[in-house]
Amino acid sequence: MANIWKNLMGHIKKDKLLSASNLIVMTVTFLLLGVFISVVVYSQTALKYLEEQAQITIFFKDEFTEDKIFVYKTKFENDKRILSAKYVSKEDALRIFKEMNKDEPILLESISASILPASLEIKAKNISDLKVLTEEYKKMDGVEDVSFFEDVIQKFSSWSKTIYIVGFLLVITFLVVSYSVIIATLKASINSKGQELEIMKLVGASDDYVKKPFLYQGVFFGLVSSLIASFVVFLLNLGVDKLSIFSKGLSLGFIPGFYINPLVFSLILCFILLLSGFLLGFLGSTTAIKRYLKY
Amino acid sequence: MPQIEFINVTKKYEGNFTALDQISFSVEDGEFVFLVGPSGAGKSTVAKILIREERCDSGQVLLNGQDVMELSYEDIPKLRRKVGVVFQDFKLLDSKNVYENVSVALEVVDSSDAEIRSIVPNILSMVGLSEKKLSYPKQLSGGEKQRLCIARAMTHEPDVLIADEPTGNIDPDASLQVIELLEKINSLGTTVIMASHDEKLVDRLKKRVIRMEKGVIVSDKKGGKYRG
Repeated sequence: MANIWKNLMGHIKKDKLLSASNLIVMTVTFLLLGVFISVVVYSQTALKYLEEQAQITIFFKDEFTEDKIFVYKTKFENDKRILSAKYVSKEDALRIFKEMNKDEPILLESISASILPASLEIKAKNISDLKVLTEEYKKMDGVEDVSFFEDVIQKFSSWSKTIYIVGFLLVITFLVVSYSVIIATLKASINSKGQELEIMKLVGASDDYVKKPFLYQGVFFGLVSSLIASFVVFLLNLGVDKLSIFSKGLSLGFIPGFYINPLVFSLILCFILLLSGFLLGFLGSTTAIKRYLKY
Repeated sequence: MPQIEFINVTKKYEGNFTALDQISFSVEDGEFVFLVGPSGAGKSTVAKILIREERCDSGQVLLNGQDVMELSYEDIPKLRRKVGVVFQDFKLLDSKNVYENVSVALEVVDSSDAEIRSIVPNILSMVGLSEKKLSYPKQLSGGEKQRLCIARAMTHEPDVLIADEPTGNIDPDASLQVIELLEKINSLGTTVIMASHDEKLVDRLKKRVIRMEKGVIVSDKKGGKYRG
């Protein structure tokens, strides 16, 4: 073990500048990867929260009776596109209105339940159906108005998609750059040790003996850089957790209804980064050895 | 069964240069054999093929009955521990001292520190370099460098020691020391094959001499002389 460490440090010291740039590029890569995954999970959670709010509110005309509204409610609940339909009576509407405007007593004095419309709050299973549903509801008998949070949700959704795409491209770009830098660093190491490697082989060194130091070097770069990035990402996530924005936990989009503790998420993320660091280092060094170690 | 057998071995390099042209010879266990001939005769190629640094194009090369060309890639290091080589250009590591240049041959086979500490001083003592163990190759004379090469080649106690023109780059006195050392190693049971074009040296030792010219063996005599 002491020998492996000594050899590793010897290799790194020989190409100090290249090793430093390698470490910096790889740390930035894993930092980006960590931040990207965090942003994806945070935006998924925020989107989930928005989706769970009432998305379409159907306001009914005063003369449209409660019985008729309940017929619609039952109909909507049987619609496969609908997640839920909640009835809000005129009295409920007044209560909500009072709650929202409790600091404005003058306004509240002039309001009574009779002037507020009864409504149905609809949640769709898929927000892409909101527009079609809204158009359908507008044409229905007894409907006064239909409002839906298309702008907020869809803008957020499209922003999220943009973030995913840009983040994904950035991560891929940096992964490719890191991979190339590992190979370039090891190529320099292999070339500078050319004569030594040739002699080692001639005096009976096994292939593994010659290859292993380079493999360790690549894995070392991968693990150290991902460890630094993990530490920074962990601190960032801890900071976000302290803000208590996601009280319910973090949502993983691909597991509906599943929420994870932010601290557990940070630990899993650190593990993913370390594993990625190991794999990137291992694959980069394996490629460099295959391509340049011809002694 | 001979220890080494070359059977109709041919080796061509790029540009269709024939280094070995269907050569056949065998060497018994414990023999001391000179391979002589002018530059380009194919002496170094024989050494390179025997340690699988090069492959032959046709023919068979047997070491203790095992076809060297049939060895798997993983078995080549084991072959190179059985066949030690002393190079004309030394192939020493300038960044390592005498002791480290010898110990590297043991480190590559994962010998323990204790093994290295017990083997290296003995070998350095055998080649007369104990006093110089902390010197670097640049601080050594040509003869000392060559003795260091021999020391390194002997760390695995090989069955065969190939010396490729070991006296080519050193003065006559140092050459004599190197030859005496090779004879001593041979007397302890190691087969020695020495490529040389030092006519006086070969004639004086009266060993078996295989003479090569342009990739073919032109004579093979026990107690022979450089010119047959």
